[in-house]
Amino acid sequence: MSIFTDYKKEIMDAAHNDRIRIALSRAITSYRANTNDALKKFPHTIKMAEEVKEIKEKAIGKMEELAQQAGEAIESNKGKTYLAKTANEALNIIGNLVGKDKLIVKGKSMTGEEIELREHLEELGNEVYETDLGEFIIQKLHSRPMHILSPAIHIPREDVAQLFSRITGEKLPPDNIPRLVATARKLLREKYFQADIGMSGANVVAADTGTLFLIENEGNIRLATGAPPVHIALVGMEKLVPTFGDACKVAEVTWRYANYTVPSYVSLVSGPSKTGDIEKVTTYGAHGPKEFHVIFMDAGRTELAKHPILCQALYCLRCGGCLYECPVFAVTAGHFGDKYFAGIGAVWAAMISQNVEKAASVAYTCLTCGRCKIRCPMKIDTPEMIVELRKLIVEGA
Amino acid sequence: MNRKGLIPPGLVYLADNITSKHNILGARKGSGAKWAKELNLPKEMETIFFAGCGYQYTGGLESLMSLLRRMDKSVVGAELPMGIAAFQKKLGIDLAGVYRKVLAKGNDAQPLRDAVKVLSNLGVEFGYLADDEPCCGGPLHYIGLQVEFAKNAQEMYKELKSLGVKRIISIVPSCTYTLRNLIPGCVDGYDLEVKHFSEVVSEGISSRELRFPGEVKVTYHDPCQLARYLGLIEEPRQILRAIKGIKLVETDWTKGEWATCCGGGGGFEAVFPELSQILAVNRARELLETGAQIIVTHCPGCIVQLRDGLKELKTDGVEVLDLAQIVAMAMEV
Repeated sequence: MSIFTDYKKEIMDAAHNDRIRIALSRAITSYRANTNDALKKFPHTIKMAEEVKEIKEKAIGKMEELAQQAGEAIESNKGKTYLAKTANEALNIIGNLVGKDKLIVKGKSMTGEEIELREHLEELGNEVYETDLGEFIIQKLHSRPMHILSPAIHIPREDVAQLFSRITGEKLPPDNIPRLVATARKLLREKYFQADIGMSGANVVAADTGTLFLIENEGNIRLATGAPPVHIALVGMEKLVPTFGDACKVAEVTWRYANYTVPSYVSLVSGPSKTGDIEKVTTYGAHGPKEFHVIFMDAGRTELAKHPILCQALYCLRCGGCLYECPVFAVTAGHFGDKYFAGIGAVWAAMISQNVEKAASVAYTCLTCGRCKIRCPMKIDTPEMIVELRKLIVEGA
Repeated sequence: MNRKGLIPPGLVYLADNITSKHNILGARKGSGAKWAKELNLPKEMETIFFAGCGYQYTGGLESLMSLLRRMDKSVVGAELPMGIAAFQKKLGIDLAGVYRKVLAKGNDAQPLRDAVKVLSNLGVEFGYLADDEPCCGGPLHYIGLQVEFAKNAQEMYKELKSLGVKRIISIVPSCTYTLRNLIPGCVDGYDLEVKHFSEVVSEGISSRELRFPGEVKVTYHDPCQLARYLGLIEEPRQILRAIKGIKLVETDWTKGEWATCCGGGGGFEAVFPELSQILAVNRARELLETGAQIIVTHCPGCIVQLRDGLKELKTDGVEVLDLAQIVAMAMEV
């Protein structure tokens, strides 16, 4: 029971932390208002979500085939692709591509968090910069993300000001948020152009064209995947859908339920940068990366897809909507979870991270109240998954 | 490794009570049905009223929760729940004795007495199995003890059939969902018709003149299982709107399928007593924002949670009542 005891202590410390509660209650209010507005402005989204659910249901059943197809498409675009059966294989592939003593700029990726990619690259002797502002703060604080979209959701401005003051040696006031943002911009700006490698995940991938969709607001992903000479992308196989059209629908539903009418940027990457402007001779590495590597990672996903109830976890678009509706998450943030959060996080802990004790702790923290399901664009039945998972845990399956 | 060791002890306690004593609190046989003693309800009827554990043991549940919360906040802290019985002894609290006292007082289970009166008043004919009422075993399902749940379900079905039961009017949301949606999955040929109290009442009151004694502002808290599991969102509201003198004031967002859980779901309160209380306070706060004088809900778990939430908020003058109590008051029965 020691894991449960430690976990419970962590949960209760979080629940007694007023800052988490205040930060989240503000976030929840604004999430609900923004999402309502976005859905009102684009009411077709609700119908489109049903369509996306069908797309995902079909795609999850044939991830291997789609990975093969996407691989061929990317290779024909002169990119390189890899299939990693396990998290370790993915780390090895990326480790070999990167080597050591490299400067790496990284976009936020939950799949990267899942396999502790940054830590691995640092251990190999590389300098890694998280470029998403929230993730940058988390990295510098040696903390861990507490929400899938807003990793620093639990950290108030005062703490950010203190952190940035320490890094820059300047005295930065906490009430000047634009100045804090400008500081991060300044700290990271030159790194994009000095970096040897840029890394990203992907929100959705079209198998027919081999196109990665990268959704963001800050612009850090554009820079990180555009400026360095090499772009490496780590993609969980559940992100694959058959066609470019399917992927567009997945992307739109994802950002709408993530409370945006439209994000500032959506990058579509299908291969390395190229030009044919001098005598029609195709040359790679014009302004963007010369090399484009995509690692499709299984790490338990094809196994999970076979389970009739738990496979729903793979339909998740990572919009983060469920987290805003969870009464436990509202007072504990990501402490209620493992690599992924709240009830659905227990399924990932059990089936992907294979951490049964942590999965049990998280599974028994779910109220099974079902409000997450009401919010979920994929109508993922988390209470059903939780009860099934508890059963599997109890029966030792 | 015995994976059952991964079940938090608070839930093991509930499960043991169900499998050994056939009720969630481990009370002795017969102690639960006391509430109905003077009502002289017939036993052998094709339609029965299914009382469930929750309301019968509300007093016991309140005592248990207050004990658990004290333990959870005390030095024992994160160690809990590691064998509740042992801690009871350590703290010198005789929990069984607490139940006996509460149950002996007989003022427990008012919602049940009122529900029976309401149904009778509507001309519904039904019986009550009293001591022979089996436990639905719902918590076993949520804990993950599916083998035990299926066994309980099959025994329960056999027992109900042998008593000639054909239709059930159930009142506890969780029992209702278990009887209606879960048990059919593990019993071949399950043929019991299960209705929820609020369905029967909303159908029955259409031609009735109902008046609440006085003018009150009332808000309604949707229990998770009633609203999101059973889809009974309109029925309770229809009943409340039909009562003259009641003004229904609702939260602007957290209502119906979007209602916030009281913090007492799925055995959560037995695993995280203190956190569960924090959630109860949060929910009570949301409901108080409506300016209601009475918080009406329709689940024994929610009642215990919301009362505790109000107590923590030191709110005077706001009451938590069950829908059955409200209807009974409006019928003057």
